[in-house]
Amino acid sequence: MAQISQLCDSNPTMNLKFAIVCSSNQNRSMEAHNFLSKKGYRVKSFGTGTQVKLPGPAHDRPNIYDFNTTYDEMYRDLMDKNPELYTQNGILNMLDRNRRIKPKPERFQSSSERFNIILTCEERVYDQVIEDLESRSKDEMEPVHIINLDIQDNHEEATVGAALICELARLLADADDLDDDVDEIILEFEPKAARPILHTVIFY
Amino acid sequence: EEEDDAALESTSTYDRVVDLINKASLMQKDAQKINNLKQVQELIIHKEPNLLDNFLDEMLAFQSDRTVDVRKFVISFMEEACKKDMELLPKILPCLQLLLEDENVNIQKKVILIMSQVYKCVLQWMCSAKGVNDEKMYVWEMVKSMKIKLLEMADSENDGVRTHVVKFLEGMVMILSHSTSESEFPKNFKPESDINLSIVPEDSDNKYLKLKRLEDEGKNIFETMLHFQASPHISSINLMTVMGSITAIAKQRPAFFGKVVQAFESLQVNLPPTLAKSQVSSVRKNLKMHMLSLLRHRCSADYMTQITTLLTDLGATNSEVMKAMPKIDESKKRKA
Repeated sequence: MAQISQLCDSNPTMNLKFAIVCSSNQNRSMEAHNFLSKKGYRVKSFGTGTQVKLPGPAHDRPNIYDFNTTYDEMYRDLMDKNPELYTQNGILNMLDRNRRIKPKPERFQSSSERFNIILTCEERVYDQVIEDLESRSKDEMEPVHIINLDIQDNHEEATVGAALICELARLLADADDLDDDVDEIILEFEPKAARPILHTVIFY
Repeated sequence: EEEDDAALESTSTYDRVVDLINKASLMQKDAQKINNLKQVQELIIHKEPNLLDNFLDEMLAFQSDRTVDVRKFVISFMEEACKKDMELLPKILPCLQLLLEDENVNIQKKVILIMSQVYKCVLQWMCSAKGVNDEKMYVWEMVKSMKIKLLEMADSENDGVRTHVVKFLEGMVMILSHSTSESEFPKNFKPESDINLSIVPEDSDNKYLKLKRLEDEGKNIFETMLHFQASPHISSINLMTVMGSITAIAKQRPAFFGKVVQAFESLQVNLPPTLAKSQVSSVRKNLKMHMLSLLRHRCSADYMTQITTLLTDLGATNSEVMKAMPKIDESKKRKA
C-alpha cells in the first residue's frame, strides 16, 4: 500500500481529472463516464447543447428538456408518454443507467470546474468547448488538453466510442510525463481508433 | 479592552499556526500535510498578514519535502506571499531559483508558470518609493539570471517544459509593454492585475528602471516567440500554445497586432513539415479560431484584407467572417 501511495505522489497523472463531453450528456458522454468511473478514474461528464434533446416519436419531434431536469423526471415523463416506444428504442434503459450515475445532465459552459483532460465526442462539441474555455478569464495558467474523437450518436457507436475513450484514458494516465508525451500518445493511438483525432491545449 | 481582545485573538492564531506547522512536519500523508499548510497560508496571508514574516522560514522549509505535491504547494504559497508582501522577495526568490533546477520536471513547470506573476511583484517593488538598495539590486540580478535560464529552457528536450516557457514569455511581453485604449481583455478580467510598464516612471533615476530598455526587452521576447512559432520542428502542441499566446498579446497589446497577423500569414503557407495529417487539421482549426478572434478586435480594420484572405484559405464561410466583422464604432461614425 505504501508503495502505491508513493507512486501516486510522484506521478501526478495517476490523479488526472477527466471530463467527457457530448451534446446532451445522455448517450455518448454518459456511456464513457460509466466505463471510466467503473475503472476508478476521476471523471465527470457534460453536454454543450443549450438544451437536452432525446429522440421523440418522429425525427423532427424530439423530446426537449432543460439542463435542470433530472434523468429521473425524464424517465417518468417518457414512461407516461409512450412506454413501448421508449423501451423499444432503448431510451428508458439509457435514462435508467444515467440516473444511477448522477442526478441530472450538466452543461459544460455552466461549470467552472477544472480538468486535466477534456474528451469530446464530435467536432462541433470540441469547438464549443474551446470557444467557452477561450472566453473565460485565465489567471492560474494550468494546462488542459482537449481531445476530440468523432462518435456517432447511437447506442452501438457510444459503446465502441466509450471503449476507445477508455483505452486512450489509460494511455494518458500511464504516461510518465503527460505534457511531454501527449502528442505522441495521440499519434500512436489514432490508427487504432480509425478516426481522425483533434487535439489542442489551453491554459486555464 | 478591544485591544486586549485583538491581542488575544492574535496569540491564538499564532498558537494555531505553530500547532499546524508542527503537525504538518510530522504527517505522513501528503493530503493531510497539504491541508495543514493550506490552513496556515489562509491564516498568515489573509487573516493575520502580520504573522507572515514570522512564519515564512518555517513554510519555506517545506520546499525540500520529499513529495512533489507538497513542493508544488509551497511554490504557490511563495507566489501568494510575494504578492502580499513584496519585502519578502529577497528571501523567496533564491528558493524559486533553486526549485527551477529541481530534478522533477513538474516542479520546474510550476515555477515557470508563476514566474511572470513573481516578476510583476519584482517590478512593482523596484518602482516603489524607497529607491534602490542592496536588497533590490540583489533581487534584480537574481531575476535577470532566472530569465536567462528560462529563455534557455525554451529549447528544453521536454515538450511540456517548452509549452510552459511560452506561457512565461507571454506574461513577460504583457508586463514589458503598454496597454492602450484599444486593448481588449478576457471577460472577468481584473484591471488591477494588468501590471505593465505604465507603473515605471518615465524619468526614473533608478538605473534598473530605464523605460526604453525594458520596452526593448519586451519586444525582444516577443520576437523570440515569433521565432519559436516559425521553427520547423516545433511540436503541434507547442505551436498551438504559442499561437494562443501571441493572439492574446495582439488583443491586449495592440502595438503587436500587425506583427501577429503577419506571423499567422507566414505560418499558414509554411506549416511545419513534421506535423501529422490530423495535427495539421488541429493547427488549422486553431488558426482559424484565432483569426476570427483577431477579426472581432477593433484593431482589425487596418488588416482586413490579410485577415479575411487568410480566413477564406482556412475554410471559413462567408457568414462566419461577416459575423466576426467588428461593428463600426458609433462614436467614430459621428465624428466622421
